[in-house]
Amino acid sequence: MKLNRREFLALTGKTAAGAVIFAACGLPERELIVQSPVDLPEDLVRGEDAWYATSMGDFTNGDGVLVRVMQGRAKKIEGNPDHPVNRGKATARYDSALQLLYHPDRISEPMLRYSKAGNLVPIDWDAADTRFMEALSNATGALTVVTNPLRGHLGSVASKFAAQYDGKHMAFDPTEQGVLHGAVKSVLGQDQLPTFDIANAQTVLSFGADWLGTWGSPAQFGVKYGEFRGQHNRGYLIHAEARMSITSAAADLWLSPIPGTEGDLALGIARVITSEGLVSNENNAAFNAALPGGLGSHGIVDVANRTGISVDRIENAARYFAEHTPSVAFGGGSAGAHTNGSFNLGAIYALNILVGAVDSKGGVISNPSSALDGVPASATGASFGEWEKELAQWRAGNVETVIIRGADIVHGMPNSVAIREALKNVPNVIAFGAIHDDTMDFADLVLPEQTFLESWGSDIPEPGPGYQVIGTQQPVVGLTISNDESGLISDARGFGDTLLDMSDGSYGRNMEGLVRGSLSDLHDTGSGSVSASSASLFTDGALQRGGWWDTSKVGSSSLGKVNTSQKNASYSNTGSLGAGNDFNLIPFHSTSLFDGRLAASPWAQQTPDPISSASWSTWAEINSKQADDLGIREGDVLLIRSSSGEIEALAYPHPGIRPGVIGIPMGQGHHRSGRWAEGRGSNVLSILVDQKDAATGALAWAATQVRVQRAGRRVKVPKFEGNVEARPVEPGVPVLVVGVGETAHDAQEANHHEYQKQFLGESRESGEHE
Amino acid sequence: MATAEFGSHNWGMVVDVDKCIGCNACVIACQAENNIPLNTQDRVERARSISWIRVERYWEGDFPDAKARFIPIMCQHCENAPCEPVCPVYATYHNSEGMNVQVYNRCVGTRYCANGCPYIVRFFNYWEPVWPKSLRNHLNPDVTIRSRGIMEKCSFCVHRIRRVSRKARSEGHEVADGAVQTACSSSCPTSALIFGNFNDPNSKVSQMKEDQRHYTLLDQFGTDPNVIYLAKIDADKKVGAGEAASHG
Repeated sequence: MKLNRREFLALTGKTAAGAVIFAACGLPERELIVQSPVDLPEDLVRGEDAWYATSMGDFTNGDGVLVRVMQGRAKKIEGNPDHPVNRGKATARYDSALQLLYHPDRISEPMLRYSKAGNLVPIDWDAADTRFMEALSNATGALTVVTNPLRGHLGSVASKFAAQYDGKHMAFDPTEQGVLHGAVKSVLGQDQLPTFDIANAQTVLSFGADWLGTWGSPAQFGVKYGEFRGQHNRGYLIHAEARMSITSAAADLWLSPIPGTEGDLALGIARVITSEGLVSNENNAAFNAALPGGLGSHGIVDVANRTGISVDRIENAARYFAEHTPSVAFGGGSAGAHTNGSFNLGAIYALNILVGAVDSKGGVISNPSSALDGVPASATGASFGEWEKELAQWRAGNVETVIIRGADIVHGMPNSVAIREALKNVPNVIAFGAIHDDTMDFADLVLPEQTFLESWGSDIPEPGPGYQVIGTQQPVVGLTISNDESGLISDARGFGDTLLDMSDGSYGRNMEGLVRGSLSDLHDTGSGSVSASSASLFTDGALQRGGWWDTSKVGSSSLGKVNTSQKNASYSNTGSLGAGNDFNLIPFHSTSLFDGRLAASPWAQQTPDPISSASWSTWAEINSKQADDLGIREGDVLLIRSSSGEIEALAYPHPGIRPGVIGIPMGQGHHRSGRWAEGRGSNVLSILVDQKDAATGALAWAATQVRVQRAGRRVKVPKFEGNVEARPVEPGVPVLVVGVGETAHDAQEANHHEYQKQFLGESRESGEHE
Repeated sequence: MATAEFGSHNWGMVVDVDKCIGCNACVIACQAENNIPLNTQDRVERARSISWIRVERYWEGDFPDAKARFIPIMCQHCENAPCEPVCPVYATYHNSEGMNVQVYNRCVGTRYCANGCPYIVRFFNYWEPVWPKSLRNHLNPDVTIRSRGIMEKCSFCVHRIRRVSRKARSEGHEVADGAVQTACSSSCPTSALIFGNFNDPNSKVSQMKEDQRHYTLLDQFGTDPNVIYLAKIDADKKVGAGEAASHG
């Protein structure tokens, strides 16, 4: 039904008037709907949609997703209910990643820089292929393929391609997980990261890892957390982290240790457990066997002094952990990002031995190796020490060609390694990507890369659910035509397919063939989640479900020892950094931007940080009382200086961070990355100092000390807090809280009583003068 | 499987605050599903951002006992909605399925409804919504793009309800419990948000509504919301300490 404006106004006027009359007469509002000739558009949904099961590549740790597609366009990304990792649930990152597909600043075509000092100019794919082949022709023995840590088929192709040219495949992760992998290997004897049976645990004790927000597999852990809280006996969460992350906020008991003392805290907890005889002699013996030197210097008072946590709190945590079982302990993130990171994480994971939680229900569950030969189930970045050596080769001119994909190394590496100078000395730098990033400013050839929604691949979740899983990735949209019919948004190609085109063909012709071939191999095993009479039907079934999994293929542990080569943390020096106050710098992942890989997405930019509620900016979290003492107020521009450089951030004081610690989110400070990210905020990764974990050589990214000084300016922090007037349950009670077994009604009564006492006076409340 | 008769739905939501971790997955899922304009930095700074669901964070206590509490807030779809009687053009009304409905093409933007809403969940479009052309590809065709000058708010993803209801009707069966998921409840990793039919006594929401932790926001206003909250549990809170819990 078509209406012109005059008819529309007449109709709506009559409808509104009629509606008022009908309402006054008490007619049911159903009449209103029937009589209204102007339907609510949402009542008339049209068109058919299709939902495709796939994986998200770089943006999750192997979650399974469903993508809603209408008329060839992707509309929404949700969790795949069939997938065993995230079981239909999502994170804020899912839909943000969708915006990269249709981003207005997507690289539309290949670009070439004819000289190092020149500009990038568009070329066609034939010319790009020719240039690529030229770059490879002299690169045998002098090729490095740089990617983000890649599992699944893409990781396999990148490694084999590098090997074909006698080169290296180096993965880069600005917050590398090598310390975590090393600790899990040395203490539990596992090659893959284990999973944690949070859903069946009575007590969870975690250190440093914001597992509900950013660490590991937040969607997987979130599902388990919901079950953990929903048990008949509600689970109890203890979390140790210097700043209030969303995991700290969810904890029943939050411990805020001095950064770098997380291992001491773990052993202090162990000391209480052993000295009070809270576990069996057998577990005690196994724990002592795993800890060279035993608990020698970790008396409870010493630990309290070292960690800054009171004896009471340590004892409470220890007793809860040992007495309310099953219990599980794990750690990562900032707890492992110190010069003694391996010791910290080793001591934390050894707590599972003490309470008998290894490979048991409600404990730490090992994951099996990959179901596919040569397809990696685990990936971690090369250590910072290895990167320093590699970059020395680049600077010396010993590397002819560097191929980069999924790793914005110019943004992610500290200033101290002088990555820009290193790139300038490589004759051929070839960069893949969907959106121009900081690294591409140093690339000779830029190639537009398909997103995960346009390309084939696979992903093996890490951590997995405790059994073998292969997640599949398939194109869910065709050519991405722009909405104004001006043509293709991007004439992109898949990274894997491009490498295979340039290869000798010995390890595959294209990614689709590799994925389908592997699924066919899985069909031959005759086990797992898909059952079909032919390999073809099996492959279709696996693609429709988003992958294949086999609950009968599980892993196992073999207990080892904690690496105690360096027990005490050391920090960078601030001696010559001018005026200001010294703080331990704790960089943390943004829940939406992560390490910056989603900075181009406006949805990721606008997502409020859960703790500060800030968006679109870089802020610095500082303890509110300390801020008062230092005269720092919200919005003050702070100069944050380390021996590697200086950045600016907006002060955000709050009570949930340890005095002496400053927390700054990663993800901003891009020179490039599209219109919504360019020139926004500061890059905290750039000022990290080149300290390393003693055992692995990994970057100790939480061991930088900074000097903080007010710049003398103040600006408004772009945040949601305060935009809406708070409507508390009672004054001073914004959110209704009950004790265990208490009803909401009783809690409300108690709050009201407290309010009367506080605001009307004790005497009136008690009724003495009535 | 719990079912309900055709047309006998009273849609509502239960929010288990004890499970909410404040991750904002619901917020972005809602933005994507409902074609909500981009909340640019300028709009955030001017307190003009639009977010049909928001997660509020409150601080309690000081270091080292500081606690951050989260609570998701969206339109409460009140049975006695203060926003409804104040609308001069009947753009907002209560439908037969328990939902507070906003008819965009009737709204003339008086903002009386926003003034009347105690939950502050109604949003005015101060500007025409603008997306770069390529980003318009991901707009949801089931949801109207609201123009400048009108109000908008959470619709309980009414278009999803319609899709599922239409399918159920065409297949000759009733809408099963759990078949309709709003974008926010679908995304929530911890299942803190549960959507369903309060008319069905066997539905999950009906059962959760009986939990002793249930309460409604701003109960004293008598708005009778269709969003029920389950209170946050503090394991260390001393219940019945002193006189507090015993007073009634």
